[in-house]
Amino acid sequence: MSDGRDRKERIDRGIKVRSDGLYAVSSLREMLYLSGPRILLIAGLLLLPLLLDPFPYWKRVVNILCVYALLAIAFDFLANCVGLVCLGGSMFIGLGGYFAAVFNVHLHLPIYLSIPAAALAGAVIATLLILPCLSLRGVYFAIVTLMYPLLFTRVIEAFDLLGGSNGITGLDSFPGTNLENYSILLILLAVLFGLRRVLNDDIGLVMHAVKDNDQSVRASGIDVVGIKALAVFIASFIGCLGGAYLAHVYMWAGLSLFALDFSIIPIAAVTIGGGGVLFGAVVGCLILVPLSEFLRFFGTFRIVLYCTVLTAFIVLKSEGLMPYCTRKYEQFERWADA
Amino acid sequence: MFLDASGLMVYYENMLALNNVGIKAEDGSVIGVFGSNSAGKSTLMYMLSGILLDIKKKEEMRGGERITLLGKITLDGEEITSLPPHERAARGIVLCPERRRIFGESSVIENLRIGSYLAPRKDRAGDIEYVFRIFPRLKDHIHRQGGFLSGGEQQMLAIGRALMAHPKILLLDEPLLGLSPAYQKIVIDSIREIRAARGITIIIAEQYARPVIPVIDRGYIIENGSAILEGTKEELMGNPDVKSAYFGV
Repeated sequence: MSDGRDRKERIDRGIKVRSDGLYAVSSLREMLYLSGPRILLIAGLLLLPLLLDPFPYWKRVVNILCVYALLAIAFDFLANCVGLVCLGGSMFIGLGGYFAAVFNVHLHLPIYLSIPAAALAGAVIATLLILPCLSLRGVYFAIVTLMYPLLFTRVIEAFDLLGGSNGITGLDSFPGTNLENYSILLILLAVLFGLRRVLNDDIGLVMHAVKDNDQSVRASGIDVVGIKALAVFIASFIGCLGGAYLAHVYMWAGLSLFALDFSIIPIAAVTIGGGGVLFGAVVGCLILVPLSEFLRFFGTFRIVLYCTVLTAFIVLKSEGLMPYCTRKYEQFERWADA
Repeated sequence: MFLDASGLMVYYENMLALNNVGIKAEDGSVIGVFGSNSAGKSTLMYMLSGILLDIKKKEEMRGGERITLLGKITLDGEEITSLPPHERAARGIVLCPERRRIFGESSVIENLRIGSYLAPRKDRAGDIEYVFRIFPRLKDHIHRQGGFLSGGEQQMLAIGRALMAHPKILLLDEPLLGLSPAYQKIVIDSIREIRAARGITIIIAEQYARPVIPVIDRGYIIENGSAILEGTKEELMGNPDVKSAYFGV
């Protein structure tokens, strides 16, 4: 409370108000205002491989970045749009990766079939595995998703399944680096914009309502477990797609696909980028993944730096970058008399 | 204790929720605050108890609505405007919030013990006895979980829990919400009893004035965030507009 009788008020920018309605199509400036951020993201992502052409190592980082971004989108979607906190990103990566390996190496499916087939199979298995705990509220979902990757690792190790600790080698690689780059970038963009469309549709509203108050959703005659299962299927499909892709990039599917990194970095990215808006997950990855590559120089000490950055973000800007930037883009502030 | 709030203004983002409201509560008096939905009663209660400072901070961290608080609140001449809610509670301003907010997973007795956290330990047994004396029904369900009590019992528990903190100023936010006439009477009788026995200053916010009016000394009518009328019980009852709007006569 201040003693001065004035306050800061937030006002929507004129151009925001104008471009909210039909008038948006009346001028180029308003259309650009609306589509500018999207164009920036799309063009930026698609130009990345070209800009990084002299640095093959960083081109590979872009691939990894996109896989992390897919996982982060899946996490953000489940946590902030359906209310299921999933700590098992590595389960999706592992399932997708191993299925791709089996399809490609053992069943001899070509790469353009093995990736989607692996994503589908992985999503079905993940959904079936998670299904029993979907009717419960609370931490059970998080615990179960955290445990499955550990379980898979130990089972594969103990019974020497699927190549045991050596993994499955000899997957087909992509025919060219450009195809390798652009396939995942296009997948990322398609997932990002597709999922946003789903969320703005009726089914998205119902999912959000499930997060808010599942009893009221039940009272509205909607099968909550079915909705949750659908959401888990969508998220695990996205995650498994990333895993299958990754296995083909490495030409190898092994236990490291179940590494904890795949569970943690996406969550960190969503924290930094801001939850609830899927773009935030991508922005978070765009910051975190290159950062962690730079920090490789520090060896294991990078975890310390990583945690510091993350904690600082939570304490100082817990809303995340994306919501903050959106607000600055749409509104301005001024002092007003109270 | 003498609570004096003046020039209270609250903005939720650009929406004015309280507009220059002043409220005075003399020692040992019972004050009624009447207004319809969205008039600003709860905001006023949150403002007096300091909860709004906490909500404001959380919204800031979350990047949500900006809440602007203006005005001055004094307690016995000491300014408490920027005092956080727990320190206000320690000074005796205790809120019994709207829709009860009892601890659903704790039993009745545990709820009361949580309420007595700030009070001297030696008084606890006597206080619990006292709460059970004014609300005998609570004693029947002493070990039942709060969430399984009926609405009326929950309201009694909420008032009881607030009493356990040894309030000097008790803020009751819609204590009659959703209660049957019989339960309303129990709650109103308890207010009368608490005042007589403990001399606590009580501020009651309600939509419907009729059940509350017999126990109050003075009342405020709030509409759209502004206090449009202030007066003694008799003055309010004599006003024809108030009569039709808040007494249903």
